[in-house]
Amino acid sequence: MARNRKYQPAGIRFGPALKAVLLCLLFAGSGVGYVWQKTQIYELGKQIRQRELHLVELRESNKKLSNRLAELRSPLKLEQRARELNLGLVQAQPAQIWRLTEPADPTVSRPAAISQLAARQTAGPRMR
Amino acid sequence: MAKRLQYRRLLCLVLLLGTAFAGLGYRLVDLQVLRHVELRAMAQLNTQREILLEPRRGDILDARGNQLATSVFVKTVAADPVLLGDCQAKVARVIAPLLELNEGELYNRLLPRTRVNDKGQTVTNRYVVLKRKVAVETWEKITEAMGRLTFTTNEVKLSPKSFGQFCRDLRAKAVFTDPINDQKRVYPNTNLAAHVLGFVGMDERDVNGTKILETTGKDGIESTLNSKLAGVRGWRMTETDSKQRELVALRDQDVEARDGLNVVLTIDSVIQNMLETALAGAMKEHTPISISGIAVRPRTGEILALATLPTFDPNNPGSASPDARRNRVISDLIEPGSTFKIVVVSGALNDSVVTLNDQFDCENGAFSFAGRVLHDHERYGVLSVERIITKSSNIGAAKIGIKLGPDRLFNHICDFGFGQRTGIPLPGEVRGISYAPKDWSKVTIAQIPMGHGICVTRLQMTMAMCAIANNGALMRPMLVDRLEDREGRTVVKYAPQKVRNVITPQAAGLMRTALKTVVTSEGTAAKAALENYSVAGKTGTAQKVENGQYVKGKYISSFIGFFPADNPELCISIVMDEPKNGYYGGLTAAPVFKEVAERAGNYLNIRPDLKDFQPSTSATIAAAPDRPIRTVAARPLNHQ
Repeated sequence: MARNRKYQPAGIRFGPALKAVLLCLLFAGSGVGYVWQKTQIYELGKQIRQRELHLVELRESNKKLSNRLAELRSPLKLEQRARELNLGLVQAQPAQIWRLTEPADPTVSRPAAISQLAARQTAGPRMR
Repeated sequence: MAKRLQYRRLLCLVLLLGTAFAGLGYRLVDLQVLRHVELRAMAQLNTQREILLEPRRGDILDARGNQLATSVFVKTVAADPVLLGDCQAKVARVIAPLLELNEGELYNRLLPRTRVNDKGQTVTNRYVVLKRKVAVETWEKITEAMGRLTFTTNEVKLSPKSFGQFCRDLRAKAVFTDPINDQKRVYPNTNLAAHVLGFVGMDERDVNGTKILETTGKDGIESTLNSKLAGVRGWRMTETDSKQRELVALRDQDVEARDGLNVVLTIDSVIQNMLETALAGAMKEHTPISISGIAVRPRTGEILALATLPTFDPNNPGSASPDARRNRVISDLIEPGSTFKIVVVSGALNDSVVTLNDQFDCENGAFSFAGRVLHDHERYGVLSVERIITKSSNIGAAKIGIKLGPDRLFNHICDFGFGQRTGIPLPGEVRGISYAPKDWSKVTIAQIPMGHGICVTRLQMTMAMCAIANNGALMRPMLVDRLEDREGRTVVKYAPQKVRNVITPQAAGLMRTALKTVVTSEGTAAKAALENYSVAGKTGTAQKVENGQYVKGKYISSFIGFFPADNPELCISIVMDEPKNGYYGGLTAAPVFKEVAERAGNYLNIRPDLKDFQPSTSATIAAAPDRPIRTVAARPLNHQ
């Protein structure tokens, strides 16, 4: 039997209200989430850009350092510097170079060959 | 009645709204459909940007990885005269010293200039280049100095609000740099190996409607391997916000630039320096017009050093004369003189026309042939083939040439590579001039064995000598060892290339035997003899030709030799153009050979081959005049 609206209970119906609130929250959340996501994308984009610039700077700095290293290790610069400092350094002459040859006999062990050489060197005047 | 009125009003309202919506709808269609292409392009112009990404030009390295040429990124500094207001003088005063420009000249450049554009409007220029190739450090100093600029309201007559904006714009935007980085090529060793490296210049290129200046090789390896060194430009299609900041998330295309490859040469900068130092010494002593030198490994054809003086600084090629920039080793033709005897005698030995012991009458220094009289520099009687080489007898060589015959002689000339480019990867190489026997006069058969009547390059002559050193195998001169990427990984490795066998190993061996006698006390190049190595070589002294006549007192003097003679490691050629204080190749070029060979043999640790050489346990070396000799090991470990 249908009841008159007048006699309906006056209490709030929570079900529909909750649904409405949840729906509102969902819409609001989606909106905020969308904006938050966009902000994050923008922020991350900025960070990417900054890191890219930093990478370029690091590459540049690395190149500058390697150029500097190459300059310092350049034989010409080293020779020039050695001359300037008057260190008296000269290139080894052929007569000053000892060439060590592998022993022809495979039965002769390497340490033995080295000790032979050492004995030969101690017998003669020392190289300076 | 009232209802009808209401209906009318409603109808009017509906009509009005309908018309409005129809108008809006039309506008929408107009904007979105009819003018879509045009408006889209305009919108894109506002936000979309195409950024060109410049690749770094590859380095040029020597065989041991030492840098010979490198690139650094630099800026092109420009200004917007409109944003400067009336403050040109103040800005010029601040940045002129940093840019190393004249203040007055800079002031003039900063003044605004007007012009009438295509639409008939008067516009003021908003872009003026102040200086190109500005170091990044200098640009940072400029930014700092501009940021510190202060102005008073007396200087700039503007309202307080506009004044603030004006100052901000002037400090931050009035002086700026081009978005595309430029590059500056740096040659750290200045003129070392300048003729091999070459130099770069700027070329204007149109890239998608934008005119850009790009660095291109103009000479030397820079030019030949420009495509490998230059790299490939990248690009980025992106969007910017109203403040011209890039919106990374909206990047459409992002293609990174591919850096140029590093070129590793066969040149050894230490040997190059030795050669150039020795050439400079000889230049001082003999004051020739020019002096050239080449050092080659005969087995592989690798060029370890190539130099010619006068030279230039590739960092500033414009300051040198075209003569100084010319690589005479490959682009100048000379009559080789007696060094060419090696071709004739090698050919004759190869074809068994003569043996080293065959005797020829050298006519006591004067030999009449085909209506001409050929002379020797000294009077020789009967000489063996070996002695003809030792004494460098023109008459003897001519008789060997006559015995060999024109066709065989010409074939050998071609086989040794004369009249053809050697294939060295440098621009400007010439073929030389070598006529076929049908174009020879009667006397040519006697002239060519003496090194006249034929024109060769210094490199051709050196490679011919290398062929004899290399058991008769002619090698292609090798200047590039490999191409590497940025990380040092080999991309392309070039192998030595044999052109052909020009003579048999036996004939080459006989020729070496004869050439070894040249540096003895009886030969023409005693001054080329080395203390620890056996040397084989040949001198040359050719009269120069001017206006079709041989000129007295003007000579091309040369010496080409290799060592150790029986196991050649290095071939060195020295050529002087019009030396003074002596003109014989044996007196002028041979000592230069000796100086370079001694130092290079030592540096390359070539094993001495002379029998009387014994590695001494108490080595004696010439002490420096003012200090005792010390080895590195003798130095104290702690520097106190």
